Amino acid sequence: MVSLFVGGAVLAVSGWLVWLSRGREHRGHSVAGLLALAALLLWAWMVAFHAPVERAQGLVQKIFYVHVPCVIPAYLGFGLTALAGIGFLRSRNESWDRLAAASAEVGVVFCSLILATGPIWAKPVWGHWWVWDLRLTSTLVLWFIYLAYLLLRGFAFGSDTARTFTAVYGIVGTAAIPFVYFAVDLARGDTLHPSNPAREGLPAAMSETLGAGMVAFVLVFGFLTARRLAAARLESDLLEASERSPVG
Amino acid sequence: MSGARVAWAVLRKDLLLDLRSRDRAGHMGVFAFLVVALLSITLPESPEAAGAWVPALLWILLLLTSILGLARSFAAESEAGAVATLAGVACDRGWVFLGKAGANLIALLALQLWVAVLAAVFLDVRWEAAGWRAAAVGALGALGLASVGTLLAALSVSVRAREFLLPVLLFPLVLPVLVICARLTAESLGGDPTPGLWWGVLGLYDWVFVLIGYFVFDHVLED
Repeated sequence: MVSLFVGGAVLAVSGWLVWLSRGREHRGHSVAGLLALAALLLWAWMVAFHAPVERAQGLVQKIFYVHVPCVIPAYLGFGLTALAGIGFLRSRNESWDRLAAASAEVGVVFCSLILATGPIWAKPVWGHWWVWDLRLTSTLVLWFIYLAYLLLRGFAFGSDTARTFTAVYGIVGTAAIPFVYFAVDLARGDTLHPSNPAREGLPAAMSETLGAGMVAFVLVFGFLTARRLAAARLESDLLEASERSPVG
Repeated sequence: MSGARVAWAVLRKDLLLDLRSRDRAGHMGVFAFLVVALLSITLPESPEAAGAWVPALLWILLLLTSILGLARSFAAESEAGAVATLAGVACDRGWVFLGKAGANLIALLALQLWVAVLAAVFLDVRWEAAGWRAAAVGALGALGLASVGTLLAALSVSVRAREFLLPVLLFPLVLPVLVICARLTAESLGGDPTPGLWWGVLGLYDWVFVLIGYFVFDHVLED
């Protein structure tokens, strides 16, 4: 049931973003913003009052409701970046490039949140801020790849060549992710990180809170990416206008 | 001109340039020598303690040195304004990629030979015990570095601050090659046994990135 809601939110948000990036109109931002806000409030209430305090770990376990839901918008952002990169290389339509830029930036924000919240939980529970374990290392490498992507964007701004290059790097970076995961898995062996199946055994109140967090974060991702798309559109309009009538 | 002939012409031209100017080879060779000397001075003296680190250090050294060569791999074209000429070949531009990557692969293999000699002399690495396995790891690792590196060098050639950008783009992507090759090299030198699957993953990585390079190079060399 929870995964149905989350999957629906992911599909709806990505569809909306692709549609937004194709058109000139920016409709639905305030509705999306209000929806995201409502979902965030509901999630915050559930974290505080609905989900029970875990017996062994105590209050610190509640960071789980921030940490885990961030994974979905982070991967959604990187997935959209690669897809939009392929779209750009095929069609040369600038709107794909804007979608790639917007979703990479917002994806990096969520990926940073994963990396920041993990150690806060790990210190009291594992006794270490950081261990070189499968999930941690591969998430860090993923973050590096998209940081490099954004740097490349920053250094090569505006031209069609730059758009092509960033699209290529987005595709190559995404192709490397399974290998990174595999290599780190092979090298490091056992993982300390709680696995996905462990989540199946969660009490209902916990998994509902988690699901609410996932839906809320996906909506926030959608809202932020839509705003970023609008800003990217303004940027390119401005660039065009300044090229048409250079000042001075 | 057929694709294979274009690839061969590009490869031959790059290697000839390297042989005649010796810029690239000289820089890489001296740099590798310096780092191996530094390693042999700074590593602990007991051979067991040093031996555990050597394979990983050698692969990191190869990666760092390869950056020097890769960063220059499109320099001749971009300085002579000949990138557009390369882009104008009368065949699929993927063949240009194969030629460039082939030249980089050969340069990397030569570098590996040099580093292997240095490591044998200064770090006491016994390659004769490692045999063909170490050579095979070296070749597969070099192919992975050359394919990803050539593609990224082409991406960063027209970007400002490319010397800074290339490592940032390259390192996270070649992490799998580095991890797997370091482990396999350690195994060939008598370390812990590794599952055969690792060879398969390394080969698959090479294959995937040669293919991606071949297909996206058409877009990279566009202008």
